[in-house]
Amino acid sequence: MSAPVPAPPVSGYRSPHARGGAGFGRLLHAEWTKLRTVRRWGYALIGAVVLTVLVALLAAGGSEIKGGGPSGPTLGPNGRPVSDGFRFVHQPLTGDGTVTVRVDSLVAQKNQRPNGREGSAAPWAKAGLIMKASTLPGSTYAAALLTHSHGVRFQYDFTHDVAGSDAPPDRPRWLRLTRAGDVVTAYESADGVRWDKIGATEAPDLPETVHVGMFVASPMAYNFERAFGSTGVDGTFTLSTGTFRDFSVDGRTEGPPRVTDVGAQGSGPGASGDGDAPTSPAGVTDAQGNSSSESGGVHTIVSTGDIAPMEADVDLTQQGLSGAVIGLIPLAALGVLFITAEFRRGMIATTFTASPRRGRVLAAKAVVLGGTTFVAGAVAAAVAFVVSQPLLRGKGHRPPVYPELTLADGSVLRAVSGTALVLALVAVLALAVGALVRNTAASVTVIVVLLVLPQILVAGLPLGAARLVVQATPAAGFAVQRTIEDFPQVESACLPEDGCYPQGAGAGLAVLCVYVAVALGLAVWQLRRRRA
Amino acid sequence: MDATIEVTDLRKRFGPAVAVDDLSFTARPGQVTGFVGPNGAGKSTTMRILLGLDAADHGQALVGGRAYRSLRTPLYEVGALLDAAAVHPGRSGRDHLRWLAYSHGLSTRRVDELLELVGLSSAGRRRAGGYSLGMRQRLGIAAALLGDPPVLVFDEPVNGLDPEGVRWIRGFLRSLAAEGRTVLISSHLMSELEDSADHLIVIGRGRLIADTSVAELLAAASGERVAVRTAERTQAMAALTDEGATVAATGRDTLIVTGLPAQQVVRVLGTHEIAFSEVAAHRASLEEAYMELTRGAAEFETANKDGEVSR
Repeated sequence: MSAPVPAPPVSGYRSPHARGGAGFGRLLHAEWTKLRTVRRWGYALIGAVVLTVLVALLAAGGSEIKGGGPSGPTLGPNGRPVSDGFRFVHQPLTGDGTVTVRVDSLVAQKNQRPNGREGSAAPWAKAGLIMKASTLPGSTYAAALLTHSHGVRFQYDFTHDVAGSDAPPDRPRWLRLTRAGDVVTAYESADGVRWDKIGATEAPDLPETVHVGMFVASPMAYNFERAFGSTGVDGTFTLSTGTFRDFSVDGRTEGPPRVTDVGAQGSGPGASGDGDAPTSPAGVTDAQGNSSSESGGVHTIVSTGDIAPMEADVDLTQQGLSGAVIGLIPLAALGVLFITAEFRRGMIATTFTASPRRGRVLAAKAVVLGGTTFVAGAVAAAVAFVVSQPLLRGKGHRPPVYPELTLADGSVLRAVSGTALVLALVAVLALAVGALVRNTAASVTVIVVLLVLPQILVAGLPLGAARLVVQATPAAGFAVQRTIEDFPQVESACLPEDGCYPQGAGAGLAVLCVYVAVALGLAVWQLRRRRA
Repeated sequence: MDATIEVTDLRKRFGPAVAVDDLSFTARPGQVTGFVGPNGAGKSTTMRILLGLDAADHGQALVGGRAYRSLRTPLYEVGALLDAAAVHPGRSGRDHLRWLAYSHGLSTRRVDELLELVGLSSAGRRRAGGYSLGMRQRLGIAAALLGDPPVLVFDEPVNGLDPEGVRWIRGFLRSLAAEGRTVLISSHLMSELEDSADHLIVIGRGRLIADTSVAELLAAASGERVAVRTAERTQAMAALTDEGATVAATGRDTLIVTGLPAQQVVRVLGTHEIAFSEVAAHRASLEEAYMELTRGAAEFETANKDGEVSR
């Protein structure tokens, strides 16, 4: 309807200002400015620190050590508390030599449950050969043994466990220990002719004369009764029976075999002048029910007890950091708001006109948020640890079972920085969820369901499901707070609600990282696709 | 860069609703281009596509020959004000400008310059949650100008401004164009653009209705009409009708004459010795012109529905 208008003879505007670029560093600066200029968000960071510390203090105040705790635990060669109790049928061996035996069978007694039904046997009930510095509990040793559920093993000095074949406990198995200088080597055989090496160790602390012989040990067997809100753990003593044949010692020795209940009452340090525990004649049954007999070269040993590292039931570091589960809530809310606040006001349009590459915007937000929440998380975790430790000590947690720990200890440093990392990852996860859901309330709900609900649910779920929840949800990351070393050769009442994670720290953190990576990936894809 | 905005065959639908339908236009440097249409005509959608916030189904919207999403330093090239309410209420206006400035390495001094320019120097440090709509518009304009860009895109910038603010922004837009910038401003009220726009893009239901200069549009709408004020209405009507004009009485002493130019009307009245107090070429307002146009558009719509193809 109208003639085209000729363009006016105006050359385009040229800005007289000098200009820089708009690289990723600048984008980080912009996002950091956004984060620090909303006062409420600063309060969220402070709130996270305060909550983490307060909850840790409350938890520490409520933690009472049960039954007084072990007052004078047996210490192993490296100073850590150990269990060392078993019936030992032994002879001395001076210098190099070899000891061989055929274990006919190991019969592990099943525990008796309160309702009269038969429970489970201790999977780590064991029978075999041991070479020990003395009959005093805690002394250095090396042992080749057959277990109820874990096949043949070579174990030494309590914490070391080497797997051999997975021979069943009800078939005969030959075992052999050889000492050559400081090296002890373990072998096993199905027929006493062809021998397979299980493992070897340097044992420089073994004296010239050691005790070699047969032993049986049978640790506690546990049954779990779970109902919502409570878990009954019943652990009962068990007695296991080992039948041995063809026991032979090749080397400088003197017989006949003597019997010692290592770790029994009265066998502690100072109980005998020569540094060895008192021995008793074969066939005697002691108060615990241990007994042993020999007829026609067949030794039968019935014994309870265990030879293993002792695990503390409470991880003081982990308890000091337990407030992080609550402290993460304000951080998750901050993570969500860092992006949903922009969607709510339409400010995201301004953000994307300034930085049209949306993936980079989310990356910058993740870096800024992750860095800030990591620092807040580190402060929270360090303060919580420092203030909770004296309280926990006051409740009766003392060395050596609960060793003194400071922030400078590797395990504590790892747990504290790991907690900060988990909090930062949770905040970034919340950011990604916020970018996907775009609604503050819905996003916070998703995060709470993913992270806080599992912590509440674990106590009520069946054990298998509870373990799955702490392994497969983002809450798995909290495994990084655990500083107690879990030994596979010890069956313990490891319950998720007590903070015992089936997976290691690294595996737990990896699970959380996978959640974060997937959520960020989905969020970038959605941001690019959907209208801003 | 060449600071022209070029929209070519742009089409966008949201589900069954067509928001923009084969729209093409150009906004050039040195001019204020008004982008007019009723609410829901597709103005904001077009601007959002232009700024890379929405994707077009077909066609393209380019700034200086480039898609917005491919710009690496967009604040230096295009300044945009889309939604004045889009600021975090907990952040001060100054901090809002600061994060934007930092994203392109601009300084806090530049931020303060612009706060001064838009008259928010004192309010800049207060939380934006407490700003009036007019203050937010000023903040949005400051944000658009941070990078001193040659192209400016403002969606309804006059909305919510007080009369003093309206006057201020009109002069301001004119001065931006006078510096050689391309200025595209949208409005749903033609009257808002009357004193500021040089060129007009009129759209309705996502389609282009008119692409014209303001002067041409007014001339077209005014036609060859002359207003006459005289006490001797009857004689005047008779005399003018005899000369071939069409005369309509619009009041006790006013006539609208069509078909004779103004000098001719004066000559006829003089010959017949008819006294008159005023003879003037009738000037339509932009609003009238707009009404005329949109009425035409409605008819055009109807014709198209009957299956006629017309461009």
